[in-house]
Amino acid sequence: MYQAEIRQPLVTGGKTYSDVTEDICRPIENKPTSSWWLGFTIAAICLFVLVGTLAWTVWEGLGTWNVNKSVMWGWDITNFVFWVGIGHAGTLISAILLLFRQKWRMSINRSAEAMTIFAVFCAAIFPLFHMGRVWLAFWALPIPNAFGSLWVNFNSPLLWDVFAISTYLSVSLVFWYLGLIPDIATVRDRATTKARKFWYGFFAMGWNGSAKSWGRYEVVALILAGISTPLVLSVHTIVSMDFATSVIPGWHTTIFPPYFVAGAIFSGFGMVLTLLLIARHVMNYQDYITTEHLEAMTKVILLTGSIVGLAYITEFVIAAYSGYEYEQYAFANRMFGPYAWAYWTMMFCNLVAPQVFWSKWARTTPWFIFIISIVVNIGMWFERFVIIVTSLHRDFLPSSWVMYHASWVEVGIFLGTFGLFFTCFFLFAKFLPVINMSEVKTIIKDKE
Amino acid sequence: MNSSNKYWKGIDELQESQDFVTSNVNEFAEGLPLEKIFSNDDSTRANRRDFLKYFGFSLGAVTLAACNKTPVQNAIPYIVKPDNVTPGVPLYYASSSISNGEGFPLLVKVREGRPIKFEPNKEATYFGGGLDGLAHSSILSLYDTNRLRGPMKAGDKSPQKWADFDKEVVTALNNVGGKSIAIVTPTNTSLVLDQAIADFKTKYANTETVAYEPISYSGITRANQKAFGKAVIPAYDFSKAEVIVSFGADFLGTWISPMKFQSDYAKNRVPKDGKMSKHYQFESLMSLTGANADSRLPMKMSKVGNYLEALYAALNGNKPKIELAGNAIQQAANDLLNAKGRSLVVCGSNDENDQMLVNSINIMLGNYGSAIDITNHYKGQSADENEFNAFVSKAKSGAYGAVIFVGCNPLYSSASALEAVAKIPTRITTAITMDETATQSTHVATDLHPLESWDIKQPYAGRYIFAQPTISPVFEGRASVSSLLAWAGGDIADKDGFTHQYNYTKNVFASQIGGDFNAAVEKGFIENVLALTVPSFSGNANESIAAISSRKAADNELILYQKVGVRDGSFGNTPWVHEMPDPVSKVTWDNYLSVSMPDAKANKWEDGDIMKVTANTVTVEIPMLIQPGQAKGTYGIALGYGRELPETVKNDLKDLGVNVYPMAGTSANYVIAGAKIEKVGSGHEFAQTQTHYSIEGRDIVREASLNAYKNDKKAGNSFHKPQPISLWSSHDYSKGHHWGMSIDLNSCTGCSACIVSCSIENNVPIVGRDEIRRRREMHWLRIDRYYSFEVPESKDLEMSIVNGGDQSLQAGDYITQEKVMEEYSSVTNSSDYYQNVKVIHQPMLCQHCDNAPCETVCPVLATTHSSEGLNQMTYNRCIGTKYCGNNCPYKVRRFNWFRYNENEKFDYHFANDLGKMVINPDVTVRSRGVMEKCSFCVQRVQSAKLTAKRENRKMETDEFTVACAQTCPSNAIVFGDMNDPNSEISKLYKDERAYHVIEEIGTRPSIKYLTKIRNKQESTNQKAH
Repeated sequence: MYQAEIRQPLVTGGKTYSDVTEDICRPIENKPTSSWWLGFTIAAICLFVLVGTLAWTVWEGLGTWNVNKSVMWGWDITNFVFWVGIGHAGTLISAILLLFRQKWRMSINRSAEAMTIFAVFCAAIFPLFHMGRVWLAFWALPIPNAFGSLWVNFNSPLLWDVFAISTYLSVSLVFWYLGLIPDIATVRDRATTKARKFWYGFFAMGWNGSAKSWGRYEVVALILAGISTPLVLSVHTIVSMDFATSVIPGWHTTIFPPYFVAGAIFSGFGMVLTLLLIARHVMNYQDYITTEHLEAMTKVILLTGSIVGLAYITEFVIAAYSGYEYEQYAFANRMFGPYAWAYWTMMFCNLVAPQVFWSKWARTTPWFIFIISIVVNIGMWFERFVIIVTSLHRDFLPSSWVMYHASWVEVGIFLGTFGLFFTCFFLFAKFLPVINMSEVKTIIKDKE
Repeated sequence: MNSSNKYWKGIDELQESQDFVTSNVNEFAEGLPLEKIFSNDDSTRANRRDFLKYFGFSLGAVTLAACNKTPVQNAIPYIVKPDNVTPGVPLYYASSSISNGEGFPLLVKVREGRPIKFEPNKEATYFGGGLDGLAHSSILSLYDTNRLRGPMKAGDKSPQKWADFDKEVVTALNNVGGKSIAIVTPTNTSLVLDQAIADFKTKYANTETVAYEPISYSGITRANQKAFGKAVIPAYDFSKAEVIVSFGADFLGTWISPMKFQSDYAKNRVPKDGKMSKHYQFESLMSLTGANADSRLPMKMSKVGNYLEALYAALNGNKPKIELAGNAIQQAANDLLNAKGRSLVVCGSNDENDQMLVNSINIMLGNYGSAIDITNHYKGQSADENEFNAFVSKAKSGAYGAVIFVGCNPLYSSASALEAVAKIPTRITTAITMDETATQSTHVATDLHPLESWDIKQPYAGRYIFAQPTISPVFEGRASVSSLLAWAGGDIADKDGFTHQYNYTKNVFASQIGGDFNAAVEKGFIENVLALTVPSFSGNANESIAAISSRKAADNELILYQKVGVRDGSFGNTPWVHEMPDPVSKVTWDNYLSVSMPDAKANKWEDGDIMKVTANTVTVEIPMLIQPGQAKGTYGIALGYGRELPETVKNDLKDLGVNVYPMAGTSANYVIAGAKIEKVGSGHEFAQTQTHYSIEGRDIVREASLNAYKNDKKAGNSFHKPQPISLWSSHDYSKGHHWGMSIDLNSCTGCSACIVSCSIENNVPIVGRDEIRRRREMHWLRIDRYYSFEVPESKDLEMSIVNGGDQSLQAGDYITQEKVMEEYSSVTNSSDYYQNVKVIHQPMLCQHCDNAPCETVCPVLATTHSSEGLNQMTYNRCIGTKYCGNNCPYKVRRFNWFRYNENEKFDYHFANDLGKMVINPDVTVRSRGVMEKCSFCVQRVQSAKLTAKRENRKMETDEFTVACAQTCPSNAIVFGDMNDPNSEISKLYKDERAYHVIEEIGTRPSIKYLTKIRNKQESTNQKAH
């Protein structure tokens, strides 16, 4: 394979095709390590917390949360937007970067896509369980019914959400699975046990590696990438419309769609970095996920973080310029009201902290990137909290102004979604190749 | 024509072929496939395997189906339908309010034999045609699970038979051994009870009667005794007063008869032809009345005599010795002199000398015979505590052999009585629950609830009110009247198919009033009053002035007051009086030490600190609350709390608040000088429905001064924000009805009666203290209360841009913004200005917007718009996303966070079968997880429309109204059809004062508010933005 002289190789360590297969199949074929067990156990415990708190919510009622007459959405929708946002990097990396022929994406796209799917699972929990009567959630689907002439309200952004999220989830799932097929076939072919042979064989769907198969595979991948690309923009645009189409000062803002999309990519890359830095360290994948990768991603973070920061400032300037007292108050209240600590946390984490990535050292030092990636995650959670809670807690009539603090059930559910996320991720890391072997093999220089 | 036509089924039949004839003999012409069925061919039969499959499935299905236990519910139809009772059609009976012991006319709405709501009797115009929150809440006492089931003796676990019980009581009464029998009643206005006691006395000549009231007005009665020779409380008519000066009398909230006073007061508060009454209020605590005054000035209640003296002097043309800010006393005097004979001065002090000065002033102003009527005087609440004190000391000395408490509960409110009464060997109580007096009794003769009884009351001389039963007795109670007569040896058996109580009441009517009893009961009241006269005055103001000047001043004073909801505490066991927020502090479910801001700042006390208060040798620990508007150096605690309810009460009514009646002592002194107050703890969280008290300078409430209004009827309301362009096409209401509402901020006093009326009409659940702390009260209608503070001295404030930028405040301006207040406090290093407060009340409910933000965001169309302008809520369809609640700019939507009915965690009346009887069958009880809100009483709208349709006529103008508007004592809320040009609402909608709240967001509400006009010398302070 031709290698440009001015570019660093995308995979280091002089890996051969065989090395790639061996390295990446090793965790699947060996017994799980003790660190895997430890992580998985913690994640599973958190998952139980999720199940327990959700069951309690459904059994007792939404009153077990601390949302109230003015702040009717609290941690629930904050977490929803947070997780949906995280789910954006996967598709961006696999679809848009594929279309732009960014080959460095190849060693990270698999796990990024997996992360997307798991994040969307986590996200979906919140709009579902924030309903007072979750058992009737299917009423939000436009299905023909026997209840008379009942139909859904196509004016409602919540309904748009239903379509946007379900489309996104199904396309991402198909895209991810399609990419997995050749690698699953590899695992199948190396299988030593009957069960392994059967299951991987089942999911490989008879992949035979013929030129024709590869040709079709490439075409389908490209088509799916084409379909996914607008979704990267549409999902968070629609999520942002939950707020933008309302009348609440602080929500009713036309800047929301681009601002939310940039924020989503920002937070998505933050989470990808967090996960990959752990995986890279634990699984010794330094040669596949090189500092080149890290640097590229930190650049995306720097860019999107700055866009988000610009949006914060723009919002504030527009509010000041609007001459509309409610809008002005909403933003003044964010900065200096009782939730000012949340606002300034957000400002620091999202606008200030990522600016360190102007420095090459910061971009290439894994432990430092790891810290910043956590900071970004925290910042983006607070961004949603600030938007949702500080807008609602003081809106038009001061008589209804309230404070809102989450209850243990809400905290438990949020913690629990991390349990779900990491349980899925640990299972993924154990049973599926976390790096796309077939694609990586196209970008290494095997001497053979 | 003979039926000769013949039809045949086939050609065979026509030709009657041989085959056809033979085969037609058989029932089945083609034969049955019997052979095939009974053959061994498996293809046509269920084989063993199939059988087992079907069997297994059926068994499984039946088992699963059987797991779901279907609750047995009985709907028992009438076998013989009672006359006039049609299921689904309410009946209205004229009767008397049960929370006003002296009698207050109202209608009882009865559905299928169950009283479910009180509605005002609009025909009784003297009483004003409104009801308060307490009156509405008191209906729950009928369905209280803690009601006694029958007569009880001390120590009994279950009720006895009446015959056995009576035998014992009679033996006890006959064995008093030369000692006296005392009958303790509230101030008795019942002609029936009067007669019964008289009859009782003929048997037991050694009987004394004692009147007892928890709240004493003896200052007034004693002063009137001296001045006019009559120990009575006069009848006040605030509608005849153009200038009202009140010294600490909370006549709109708690003083004497606020329901009537509110209606009278409101008549002069709407500026028609540029005229409205002027109201001065000088007071210490921030009362509901003070909140409505044109000029409210803080003063120390202990100095009220001096201020009265000052006013007296000013009226006589002398210079007042002491003055309030802005020469308010002199101003009030000038205004009073300009309105001689058309004014009224009242005082909340319970001191004879203070009241004598008030009498002198009113005589001087010629108010007797117009606003004050001592001829047809008030008869309720006039018991003098000295009478009861005499009873107590006699009881202590062992003078009584027996005591009968009839319908009163003195052992709760009178600390001195407890020990004394214990010395009386036989203590009989007629009560409906095990209250504090009943628990101390030897015999409890379970009474009938007032809604189960007949009665004739005389609240004012010459005005009679008739109470009639609206439900058959729920338990084995017996009317106290019948009990007294039974013990006196009378025959109390039913006669001619009527109960003894009915026959007895009818006889009393015939002998004392006369006329058509049925007509009187149907109408509910009879008025037979004398012409107003000016009484001859024999009081001496100078004596009183001398007595007042000898009073000693103290640094601080503790004022025991009543709350608008709870009042004297008699109905403290009905939860709505506690769930209804206090109109001023917005606190529910607690009493507290009310502290002024300067005192709190000086002592570094904060809301929720636990204070130890010692007054009159009584010490209590109670949380404190800072009350803007309260005078420095004054403290307040509400009476009526700390009731000891039966052990079966497990909800928030249990151990509720602190009983401070003992502080008032035997002399009923409600202003205690020199209370000792110290902080002993902190961290109490109040359940408040509103915590932010400033309006932040927002254009939500519009107001103007009377002068500005005289010049321009649009004053304060001249600027209307441009309506944004709407994406939606507007609704077409040209056909049929178009419902709308107007709320007059001028006549609304904030009394909160509408909240309880609405809640009972619409089955709004009670959620309790904890849930209100989480800000989850369910009220469909709330009353927003905002303060603004007068700036005492001009100051320039340097403020950051986000907080509004630099501001220059001139003395006399009003600050409405939280940050500005804080800044002003720190610049002037004082918080004294928190005493000078202006208050506004604004009822807030679903605005039924034409462009409703809630409607567009619901994903399942659970909230939609009707063709008559209502914003409707379909509970069944709601999945509970709460998006509508978030997007409501008025924040009036309420979510069912829990299942509030049949839930032991919400153990109020919705949780038990008896309490559920008060549920309005026309309104759905909402399930958990759905949103709810004001429906403009859609059940009333529909019922009125259907009635008109059934009677084949057009609906009449203002034929019905909604629950809040109906009960409003000041008639501030008007509901009606805007398509009817004659309706009141169509006229009010065109009023120059009418405006929509936050109109600039383009919601186009169906409720208009009318600008508040204050009778004060100042220009509009609300600038248009």
